[in-house]
Amino acid sequence: MGPNVTWYVAVASFLFGIGALGVMLRRSPLIILLSLEIMLNGANLAFIAFSRHHGHLDGQVFALAVMAVAAAEVVVGLGLIVAMNRRQLVLDVDKLSTLRG
Amino acid sequence: MIIASWVCLFAPLGATVAITLGGTRWTRRGAGRLATASVFVSFIAAAVAFFSMLGRDTGDRSHLSTAWTWLAAGNFHVGLSILVDPLSIFMMLVVSGVGALIVGYSIGYMDGDDEERRYFAYMALFVFSMLLLVQAGNLLLLLVGWGLVGLCSYFLIGYHHERPAAVAAAKKAFIMNAFGDATMALAFFLLIQKTGSLEFAASFQWAGGAAGTWAVNLVALGLLGGAVAKSAQLPLQTWLPDAMEGPTPVSALIHAATMVTAGVYLLVRAAPIFERAAHVQQLAAGLGAATLLLAGFIALVQVDIKRVIAYSTMSQIGYMFLGAGLGAYANAMFHLMTHAFFKALLFLAAGIVIHALVGEQDMRKMGGLRRFLPRTYVAFLVGALALTGIPPLSGFFSKDSILASALAAGWYGDLLFAAGLVGAFLTGLYTFRMLFLVFGGEPSAYAREHFHQAERNEPWLWMGLTVGALTVLSVIGGWIQIAGLWHPLTDFLKPAAEPLVEPSGLQDLLASLGAVSLGVAGALLAWSIYGTRRIGVPSARPLRALLEHKFYFDEAYDLLFYRPAVRLAQSLRDSVERPLVQGSLTGIAAGARRVGTEVTELQTGVVRTYAFAIAGSVAVLALVFVWVK
Repeated sequence: MGPNVTWYVAVASFLFGIGALGVMLRRSPLIILLSLEIMLNGANLAFIAFSRHHGHLDGQVFALAVMAVAAAEVVVGLGLIVAMNRRQLVLDVDKLSTLRG
Repeated sequence: MIIASWVCLFAPLGATVAITLGGTRWTRRGAGRLATASVFVSFIAAAVAFFSMLGRDTGDRSHLSTAWTWLAAGNFHVGLSILVDPLSIFMMLVVSGVGALIVGYSIGYMDGDDEERRYFAYMALFVFSMLLLVQAGNLLLLLVGWGLVGLCSYFLIGYHHERPAAVAAAKKAFIMNAFGDATMALAFFLLIQKTGSLEFAASFQWAGGAAGTWAVNLVALGLLGGAVAKSAQLPLQTWLPDAMEGPTPVSALIHAATMVTAGVYLLVRAAPIFERAAHVQQLAAGLGAATLLLAGFIALVQVDIKRVIAYSTMSQIGYMFLGAGLGAYANAMFHLMTHAFFKALLFLAAGIVIHALVGEQDMRKMGGLRRFLPRTYVAFLVGALALTGIPPLSGFFSKDSILASALAAGWYGDLLFAAGLVGAFLTGLYTFRMLFLVFGGEPSAYAREHFHQAERNEPWLWMGLTVGALTVLSVIGGWIQIAGLWHPLTDFLKPAAEPLVEPSGLQDLLASLGAVSLGVAGALLAWSIYGTRRIGVPSARPLRALLEHKFYFDEAYDLLFYRPAVRLAQSLRDSVERPLVQGSLTGIAAGARRVGTEVTELQTGVVRTYAFAIAGSVAVLALVFVWVK
């Protein structure tokens, strides 16, 4: 049966925490995108772990959906970054604050 | 009889609809011909109904015909119904007959006007409204006609909408009439509460059993308010002279066939209610007497030819109110008819004069027109003689029959009789003053300069023919009833309105002698002042000022109603509108803006703060969930 579900959830939380910290602390949009991916994968891991634990397939289906969303998000995110680069903007999210109220 | 009456009612409405829908597809003169034809069809239908009614027994002459239930609310039903009885047939004949002549005359008078089609559509609608009013089979339908008549008068008085004075006069007429409509509506509400219906029969029956109660008095007072407003009697008379802003045939239609006679008709139609409220009926007679004196005096100093005729209308309607208020219903209706003839004649003849002088209405600039317009002079003279009540013209028979009835009505009647005699003197004076000023003497410089001969074309023919027909009617119109000898009209109207007073032969003689001699005296005085100029115009400055200001009614109403209303409105604007309504809206807007400014501070534009906010919120939520569980 492998390890107890607790371990999986612990690893998933760890991954999610690393991702969240990355999103909050880093300035480069590329790294933030990477951190987002890590958060999503942490969540996915939790889904699958619980799916196995409860013997339901719902969690696995959800994980597939999350992967699809993650792929789409990367496309949009990378597109944005390429566009920023083309316009010769500084790749620093703290400087991009024109939406300030 | 019934079918003819329905045709009579709806023919003019058909013309209105056709002209309105047809628009420019009608030639201008075509619209006029159609309107005239439709009113004439009405007249033919009314005549057919009249003769088929003559063929019936006296007891079988009143019929209520209902087309469908027009309004239903719970137990309250009102049908679209017409009442065909001697009274309504009589009114139908007068309205459509005189109306057809006036609309026909308009083809000539309005020829070349830019908006002739609109004019004729309104004219036909006006006749329809009046027919609806007189044929209405219940009080609600009567009120509908009543309101429509007021609306049409508004349209037509303000026909020259580019002239501010005309628009103001139209509004004045409408508002004064609306006041009367309101008192009538209040009377109807009371009737509905008491009887649960607005049928004539039911309300008359109720009035019969409730004589002298406050309810009957209030209902009668409400109806009298409507009649007074529509007929321009004291104290709601001020709109009528201003209504002269409309085209001359409109004045003729308002004064002769439609509108102002409606009040007299109502007094006679609702006689069973008024008779049970004797004081209100006496009040109506008193108001009539007061108005006939007041209007007679004011007419003495007017310089506008149409205004003189307008005041004479007020005065003559005063006679009718006097008669109807004393219960001499047939005599009042008789005077209504003869008055329709000679008043239409006077207006239309005045219209020819105004036309010939290129729109000038000031009598001071006229004079000596007898030489230029000999035939119009004859027509006008006939009208003036009939108005003054000189035998054997129509006005003599009808006016004197009213005065004789007043003599037969006790001390109150004697008082009104005296007023009527003074009125007869004034009538002679102002009528012949007008005649001599306009037609007498040598042609004035203005008349010489501006007179232009009308071309003898089709419009001219229309005007001449209709004035000629009215001249004949003004002469012979009175012969259908000769006091003491021959009274078919009284007999005909008896089933609808039984007269309350029956003057004796002596009283008839006395009234005629008094009225004719005073009328002639007035005319002679006018002749010596304005004809031969043997007597100078009396100066009497304060009196003249009083008359020229029409007894200061306009000024008094301005002071009593208009100014306080404006002041109230202004103070409401300053103390309620501005601080409360406007202030609260401004406050709400300012508050929203301030909150918005403060909330924008949260938007830093830095992704990091948003991420922190989200993470923090999720963490707090997670803690809350765990803790609550």
